[in-house]
Amino acid sequence: MTVDIGSAGGAATKTRVFLTWEKQEHLVKLAILILAAVLSFATRLFSVLRFESVIHEFDPYFNYRTTRFLAEQGFYKFHNWFDDRAWYPLGRIIGGTIYPGLMVTSAALYRLMWLLNITIDIRNVCVFLAPFFSSLTTLVTYALTKEIHSTSAGLVAAALISIVPGYISRSVAGSYDNEGIAIFCMLLTYYLWIKAVKTGTIFWSAMSALAYFYMVSSWGGYVFLINLIPLHVLALMCTGRFSHRIYIAYSTLYCVGTILSMQISFVGFQPIQSSEHMLALGVFGLCQIHAFVDYLRSRMPKEHFDVLFKTLVSGIVSVVLIVGTVLTLTGKVSPWTGRFYSLLDPSYAKNNIPIIASVSEHQPTSWSSFYFDLQAKVVRAAFSFIYIHICLQILVFLFPAGLYFCFARLTDANIFIILYGVTSIYFAGVMVRLMLVLAPVMCVLSGIAISHLLAKYIKSMDAVGAKPAAEQSKRQHKKLEQQSGGVKSEVAMGFVAVITIMLIVYTLHCTWVTSEAYSSPSIVLSARSHDGGRIIFDDFREAYYWLQMNTPEDARIMSWWDYGYQITAMANRTILVDNNTWNNTHISRVGQAMASSEDKAYEIMRELDVDYVLVIFGGLTGYSSDDINKFLWMVRIGGSTDRGAHIKEKDYYAANGEFRVDKEGSPTLLNCLMYKMCYYRFGQMYTEGGKAQGYDRVRAAEIGNKDFELDVLEEAYTTEHWLVRIYKVKDLPNRGV
Amino acid sequence: MKIYWQYICISITCFMLNINADIINKNVERVLDLTSQLVKTTYKISVEDLTGIAVKDYVLIIREPNLSYISAKDGFDNTVKLQKQESENIQEHSYILNFLKDSPKQSIYIETVSTKNLLPHPYEIKQNDKQMVKFVGNLYLYSIYKTITQKTNVILSSSNVLSSTQIKPFSLAANKIFFGPYENVEKLTEEELMIHYENQSPFLTVNSLDRTIEVSHWGNIAVKESIQITHSGAKLKGSFSRYDFQKDGRSGQSAVKSYKTYLPASAFCVYYRDTNGNISTSNMNLQQDYVDLDLRPRFPLFGGWKTQYVLGYNIPAYENLFSAGTDYVLKMRLIDHIHDNMSIEEAVISIILPEGSANIKLDTPYTVNHRQNELMYTYLDTVGRPVISFTKRNLVENHITDFTLKYTFSKVSLLQEPLLVIAFIYIIFIFTIVFLRMDLSITSHSHKE
Repeated sequence: MTVDIGSAGGAATKTRVFLTWEKQEHLVKLAILILAAVLSFATRLFSVLRFESVIHEFDPYFNYRTTRFLAEQGFYKFHNWFDDRAWYPLGRIIGGTIYPGLMVTSAALYRLMWLLNITIDIRNVCVFLAPFFSSLTTLVTYALTKEIHSTSAGLVAAALISIVPGYISRSVAGSYDNEGIAIFCMLLTYYLWIKAVKTGTIFWSAMSALAYFYMVSSWGGYVFLINLIPLHVLALMCTGRFSHRIYIAYSTLYCVGTILSMQISFVGFQPIQSSEHMLALGVFGLCQIHAFVDYLRSRMPKEHFDVLFKTLVSGIVSVVLIVGTVLTLTGKVSPWTGRFYSLLDPSYAKNNIPIIASVSEHQPTSWSSFYFDLQAKVVRAAFSFIYIHICLQILVFLFPAGLYFCFARLTDANIFIILYGVTSIYFAGVMVRLMLVLAPVMCVLSGIAISHLLAKYIKSMDAVGAKPAAEQSKRQHKKLEQQSGGVKSEVAMGFVAVITIMLIVYTLHCTWVTSEAYSSPSIVLSARSHDGGRIIFDDFREAYYWLQMNTPEDARIMSWWDYGYQITAMANRTILVDNNTWNNTHISRVGQAMASSEDKAYEIMRELDVDYVLVIFGGLTGYSSDDINKFLWMVRIGGSTDRGAHIKEKDYYAANGEFRVDKEGSPTLLNCLMYKMCYYRFGQMYTEGGKAQGYDRVRAAEIGNKDFELDVLEEAYTTEHWLVRIYKVKDLPNRGV
Repeated sequence: MKIYWQYICISITCFMLNINADIINKNVERVLDLTSQLVKTTYKISVEDLTGIAVKDYVLIIREPNLSYISAKDGFDNTVKLQKQESENIQEHSYILNFLKDSPKQSIYIETVSTKNLLPHPYEIKQNDKQMVKFVGNLYLYSIYKTITQKTNVILSSSNVLSSTQIKPFSLAANKIFFGPYENVEKLTEEELMIHYENQSPFLTVNSLDRTIEVSHWGNIAVKESIQITHSGAKLKGSFSRYDFQKDGRSGQSAVKSYKTYLPASAFCVYYRDTNGNISTSNMNLQQDYVDLDLRPRFPLFGGWKTQYVLGYNIPAYENLFSAGTDYVLKMRLIDHIHDNMSIEEAVISIILPEGSANIKLDTPYTVNHRQNELMYTYLDTVGRPVISFTKRNLVENHITDFTLKYTFSKVSLLQEPLLVIAFIYIIFIFTIVFLRMDLSITSHSHKE
């Protein structure tokens, strides 16, 4: 970004003759902002250029499918959509169980474009939505930082956020997920909130309530926001900065925002019931009391007021405590849900809820947790994590500096950004996913720090060199003398050089990380062959397309839940469980089928009307996040309910307590359905030179059970690299055969 | 009963044409090519009038269901017009040939192609089995004239013949069977010819072809074909084993792993995708006079399996679009090559012309079913682009011929779209300039300097 600033500055000097000082500044500002916005869009296109315009990962496929439905069928059908393609035989009410903001946004864009005869495909709208919104985020970051600090800080922050990896990881082209637009909504709400706090007008607070509504409609992470803003108000109260402005801003935001947020059917009555929202409600009450107290204080003699105040405070605190306890005990106010417990206590999920622990994005960002499941995914995540850290390091250095500058000139708005910074650091430490919330504040604070430092030192640099020039303009000259602060120009120059180098390194690093870590769609895998050429493993789409083309329209497919969204979206077939993971017992039933022996599994599969079973197997290619590596989770989740009580994790370990697939492995493992489906006829394959037949390249072991036939299943399809294997469940045998 | 009706039909036809009963087929040589999924037949018929009167008309009856293509030539290599007669029986096609030259001795060369006459037998096979097909046809030329001598040569795709009609004289040699010569076959004689043999050639049927040709006067023609293709040979029975398929060369021989599509030599920006995105398994080779596209479906096509994809490319307009003043002529292939020995069940062809095209006249090499013309709206359109569309059923490679489309288009309207963009941007600027200078506040405040 330093380059951009430089070039824009160059353009400005040339046109000095024609433009006034203000117009020049305007031009530079506009140029930097536009460049930052374009850059943030462009840097997210690596995967489209390397692969193709395709949706990535798992959840985006669900979002894509629902968006397609919305675009084709209209909002009312979407709102009332009962999806019979998922969670067979239960189904899922889609309209009421999702945050529709993302889908509505892209469907609206799609409709708008078609109205203008721009006949773009809905898939491309979805693919490019996140980069587009990150451009908008760049702009809104500028606006926010400008409100909090200054225009120059805003420009630096905009430039920083356009390429910050923590945010890019969730908003590359194709990564069509809620977070893509939610960060924009969040920053927009913050901006409007700061605006409301500063002006104290109903207009701005109503605007921020609308932005909050958009945020609620698009991401569950709105809870962070609705806790942060009250926290800000609370902090303002504590520091004695409470005023009518804050009162108006918060009261309007809370009332309008809460009513609006309750219109999202997935949120429903949570804003007034669940304990996550109670801080907002409490602060709202406190606001009223504070305002009332202020009013009384202005009308009463001091001694009368003191008496009244003490009585009221003790009374209200006790009443609130009693009512709160009663409501929590009776269950009116929902107890803290699991995901939020795991926010506060990182080990909670691991110990209590296997399904939450098995989702890698809910996991704490500690190294030990990376060893559990999804090795490759986790390794990749870990890999990218290191580089986020390297990149963030630069920001991390600047972060405290930014905080310091905020503290140095404390205002209502500054307090907000300080709180935001401190709380998001904590949450990002607890949950990987919340890195995303941290990234913008890092950029804002670093922007403040950099602009502060640069402004200071560049001026002292000029102070010596540009003295004759300064004489021309008296105003400039004065300014320089005021701000140079007695720093020697050599020191200043050195300092500016260091910051410049830092920014250049940051830019290079960010670009490199983006291109290396975040730009593979994960639906298409690529590897290097011996001669350096690129090999593409397109097995997932091969299998899904096979299912779509060559199985009956109403076929039911059993697979582990990770692939649920992809199967419904790409194969358009009914599945038993998917990434929504709302029904633990149903997932557990599938886990039991996978972990049982063939005849036991057949009973379960008959019970669930399964026609095809799909497994992911990486033993031939060395793709490590396959079903065998996830198998222990299936066992754990399968054994976590009553019906699966007979499935015990220790039965699947070898005698020495290890999980192994070779001859040493436990007989239960070697005869369970998952094992058989993965390794069916694999025992005859030569996979690696110098190794025996049936050598599993992921587990680095020769498989233990080689010669077996399947009784209740038959191989229906196996993809070219054996990554996906699909089996057909045989019908019951005829009598007497 | 059926035969009886045919007799009546034919005798009526004969009566109408005042057919000389003295016409005979002096010699008939027939070659049946059964190497692919199609039945390609060539006839060489020598006709003679015994009384020495010039033969003007000749009634030809082709008893083949799903006849897709027929052409006739006389002894001087001139195309003879075939006049189709309405017939009750869809299995039977009767034509009247009008000879250009009057002569008591005529020779005719006829070429026919029919689809779906090679039926897999058995209907289902296992992965490692060979695909056997059965052909049922006529041993003799079914004719309203007496045939003096005739023989039939059958070319098969392999020498593995399980059974066949054995009416002497006949002989077998490698992948060929020679029937005949049979002497003095009376008119309207029927005799079944049955051959049951191994045929591992790809049995692919294009169920639907949706071909869209979009003409741009900026110098480009975009072609997009969405194709649904099914393996119409013997169905796969039981499981599919990837291990066998990869390790055993004899396994799944009738499955189609890939096929070649030929595009025009100047084709560029070729894409091959389906609803899930790009199909990354294809190769493109540029040849001297065509582009050779090696298409591999996402999965090998076994019997009964189908797949669907979109193939698109661009060609420069100057090769196919000709103009004189405001008159334009588009000359392009009606359908194009999809794979060798292809058979298309139904093709829908749509031609999208630029906005403002008028007086559209379509000329096709064979009859097609016209559809309602529509308007399409896409980038920067105001009144819509005219879309001409038509359908045709049962097409084979012989149908790859050019159609011509004449229309008028004023060159001035080419400027419409750029002007639209310019005007739009201009209006935005004007609007911004005006908006920024307006004072919308309701309170009056002192003017700040």
